[in-house]
Amino acid sequence: MEQYLNMAVKEVITKFPEVGKILEEYEIGCVPCGVGSCLLKDVVEIHNLPDEEEQGLMARIAREIYPGLEITVPRVERKGKNRSKELKYSPPMKKLVDEHVLIKRWIALIPQVLEAFNAESTEGAQLVLEGVNFIRSYADRFHHAKEEDILFKYFDENSELLKTMLEDHVKGRGHAKAISEAVEKKDREGIVEHLMAYRELLTEHIKKEDEILYPWMDRNLSVTQVGELFSRFIEVDEATDRKGIERCESFVLEVEKKFQKEVIK
Amino acid sequence: MNEFAGCPGSRMVDFRKGETREEAPLGKVQSQLRQWPVQLHLVSPTAPYYQGADVLLTADCVGYALGSFHTDYLKGKSLAIACPKLDQGQEVYTGKIKSWFEDAKINTLTVLIMQVPCCMGLVDLAQQALAGSKRKVPVKAVVVSLQGEILSEKWV
Repeated sequence: MEQYLNMAVKEVITKFPEVGKILEEYEIGCVPCGVGSCLLKDVVEIHNLPDEEEQGLMARIAREIYPGLEITVPRVERKGKNRSKELKYSPPMKKLVDEHVLIKRWIALIPQVLEAFNAESTEGAQLVLEGVNFIRSYADRFHHAKEEDILFKYFDENSELLKTMLEDHVKGRGHAKAISEAVEKKDREGIVEHLMAYRELLTEHIKKEDEILYPWMDRNLSVTQVGELFSRFIEVDEATDRKGIERCESFVLEVEKKFQKEVIK
Repeated sequence: MNEFAGCPGSRMVDFRKGETREEAPLGKVQSQLRQWPVQLHLVSPTAPYYQGADVLLTADCVGYALGSFHTDYLKGKSLAIACPKLDQGQEVYTGKIKSWFEDAKINTLTVLIMQVPCCMGLVDLAQQALAGSKRKVPVKAVVVSLQGEILSEKWV
C-alpha cells in the first residue's frame, strides 16, 4: 500500500478508476484536476478528514487496489496539530480569502458581459480591456503576488501542490494576454474562449485555496509565522496605490450595476 | 458547599477520584520564562522583551492546570499574567495591551484562558484593546480545561 500512497494521485486513478469515485464521495475532487501530480498520501493529509472518515476512505481504497486481501493501511501523518474541520482562518489567510471575494464577483459577471458583448463596438472592447486590467492589477499583481512573493516562501515551492497553484497563476496570465490580443484583432471567438477559460480556472483555483490550501497552511504555520505574514501583507497593502485598488473595486461595482447582478457576499 | 452549586469559576471539584494519569517523564523541566516581572499590573508594555515579540497573556490558573505550559506555550514568548475575575483596575490592562500593539509592535498575542466563563473576560479585554488600536495584530484565544486539556485554539 505504501507504494500507492507515494504515487501521484492521477496515476493511481488511471490504474484504479474506482479510486477516483471513492475520493469524490469524500468530496476530494482529484478526478477533474488537470495536473494530478500530488501524491495520494498528501491528498489525504491536506483534506484533514476526521480519523474515522480517513480510515474508512483508506480501507475502501485498499480494497480496490488489493481486492480480497486484508491490508493494514498506515495512518497518514500530519504536520499540523489542529484537526478541526471548521474553516476559521488566521488573520493573514482571512485577508487573502477576503480578496478572493472581489475576484469572484468579477468572474461571476463574465457570462453576462460576454452575452451582451459586441467585438466591433468601442464600448464593448473597453469593458473587456478594463476586465483584463482588473485581472492584471488586482487578481495578479495585488493578490497573487502576496502568495508568490511572501506566503509560498514559507512552504516547499517544489511540492506538487504549490507547483499546481503556481501553474494556475501562469495559465491565468496567459489567458489575460490572449484576451487583450483578441480585443485588438476584434476576434470575438478568442475573447469568449479565453475569458470563459479564465473564469473556469479561477473559480476552481479559489475554491482549492479557500477550502484546502489555506486551511492546510494554517495548520502548518507557527504563531510567529502567522504574525510575520500578517505584517508583511499589511506592508504590501500600504505600499500599493490605494487609488488603483479603489478603481478595481468600482469597476466591479459598476459592471454589477450595469448587469444588475446580485453581489456575491 | 455542594460541589455542584455556585459559580463554575469557584465550584469545588476533586480530580483524585478514579485518577489514571500518565506519569510525566522524569527529570528536571527547564523553565522557559525569560523576563521578570510577569503580573500585568507590574509589567511595562514597552519593556525590551515585548518589542516585536510573540506575547502570551495567561490567566493566572492556566500555569497550574496546563502541564506542558512551559514547553508548548511559553517557549519563545514574552509573558504577562492576570485574573479577569479578581484583579482590580482592569481598565489599565486594556491600555497596556493596546500599548503592546501600538508601541511595542508585538508580532502576535496569544490569550490563554481556563474554560470557566469568567476567564473569557481576558479575551474580551484583548479584543477591546485590538478594536481601539491603530495597529492590528493577530490574536489567538486558547481555552484550557480544568484538567489541562486544550479545548480550543482560535484566531479571534
